[in-house]
Amino acid sequence: MRLKFRTEGGFASFPGLRAPVEIDTGELQEEEATELVRCVEEARFFQRPEGPEEPPPGSADLRLYTVEVEEGAWSHTVRVYEPVGDPALRALIDALDARAKALRRARRKQGSEGDR
Amino acid sequence: MNHATCRNPVFCLLPPYVLREIARNGSPEQREVATRALASDGTFRSLRQVTTPSRTPRMGTSGALDPEGQKRRTIYDVGNTQDLPGRVARAEGQGPSGDTAVDEAYDGLGATYDFFWEVYRRDSIDDDGLPLDGHVHFGVDYTNAFWDGTRMVFGDGDGELFNRFTISLDVIGHELSHGVTQYKSGLNYFKQPGALNEHLSDVYGSLVKQYLLGQTAEEADWTIGAGLLAEGVNGVALRSMKEPGTAFDDPVLGKDPQPAHMDDFVRTFEDNGGVHINSGIPNRAFYLTAAALGGNAWEVAGRIWNATAIDPRLKPDTGFRRFARLTARAAASLYGPGGLEERAVRAAWDGVGIPAA
Ligand SMILES: [Zn+2]
Repeated sequence: MRLKFRTEGGFASFPGLRAPVEIDTGELQEEEATELVRCVEEARFFQRPEGPEEPPPGSADLRLYTVEVEEGAWSHTVRVYEPVGDPALRALIDALDARAKALRRARRKQGSEGDR
Repeated sequence: MNHATCRNPVFCLLPPYVLREIARNGSPEQREVATRALASDGTFRSLRQVTTPSRTPRMGTSGALDPEGQKRRTIYDVGNTQDLPGRVARAEGQGPSGDTAVDEAYDGLGATYDFFWEVYRRDSIDDDGLPLDGHVHFGVDYTNAFWDGTRMVFGDGDGELFNRFTISLDVIGHELSHGVTQYKSGLNYFKQPGALNEHLSDVYGSLVKQYLLGQTAEEADWTIGAGLLAEGVNGVALRSMKEPGTAFDDPVLGKDPQPAHMDDFVRTFEDNGGVHINSGIPNRAFYLTAAALGGNAWEVAGRIWNATAIDPRLKPDTGFRRFARLTARAAASLYGPGGLEERAVRAAWDGVGIPAA
């Protein structure tokens, strides 16, 4: 399964955080891969409308999440504004966000080592 | 009242002034329920006018007792979940909770309310005493703050890139001001009107801080979100109104994308059409106006911008040029046509490549 996760909007614009995070479950540790696949299934991802639903009137600084999942011949995209009400979809986004954070942490560490 | 706010039926029957007494002096659980009932009871405000105010009323400009100008804050602790609203952690009039985010939100909403009331005589978001609800500890390591149309929500930050979002007073002022825009002009949150919506929140947010600190335009740092970037991140804040595009330049966050001039206007569909990007242009125009006029920015420049923000000619689809013209007209009508103030406003917009003629 291949996943692509993108975050935009929010209180300020950070070009470095806009780049999508791409994940191939085949390249993950088994436990992490299983967890992501489970999140996709529990969110009934492929049955969801693409969205995004309009955020509440007058709202501001909300982030917009875009999740793309490719599984064999299937491909589907879901776009949703925070706060994500549906717990199953939220769990998927939290898992992807955690992954994005871990990648950034690695990048930051690399950067600081490169400085030395 | 609906069921969600009326879990204890006794509270549904009590008149607001009794509820307010319970909210202040009851047991913690009673206080919570009473406060929630009060915060959601639309009849409270009209009753407030005829019941005896429990706190010392302010003197209005006319010298008469003024029933307005009383803030009603409720800070909720969402407990690192995303289940809004969370539990009441501090209601109006209660002492410090000991929780930094709760107390920062309480004080920040108070400072913002006081700024709008004392400087522009605006009684809360809707100019009719709307209660202010802040929700802190939203989510886990949550790296955002937002206005959802009824309340302000603040994440704790992840500690790696961002600290807690209540750390900067101007961020709290920014969020509350989105409510003001919602009730007033209703600027669309897309492209140029959206960038103006963002701009007004930055103007008010920055002025709240300058007013509290008693800083002149020259002394102010004109940043939004100072202290919010975590240690080790290369940056001073999230935005700079004085020098848009210079707030951060970091290997992970990237470089501050804000333009300071129309020549560098960014066309994009991301970020609702660049609302947090192109707001740098009007932000700089406001800074230039305030710097040219000197003194306290909230007094003249702020008054001109506030008059524009509440001008009925400011429509949901207003773009930069029309907004610039409205500020010039506001300056002329407040301080006289062709005066120093109007000329400063026009020169400032010229300085960012937007003709205000
Ligand atoms: Zn905003």
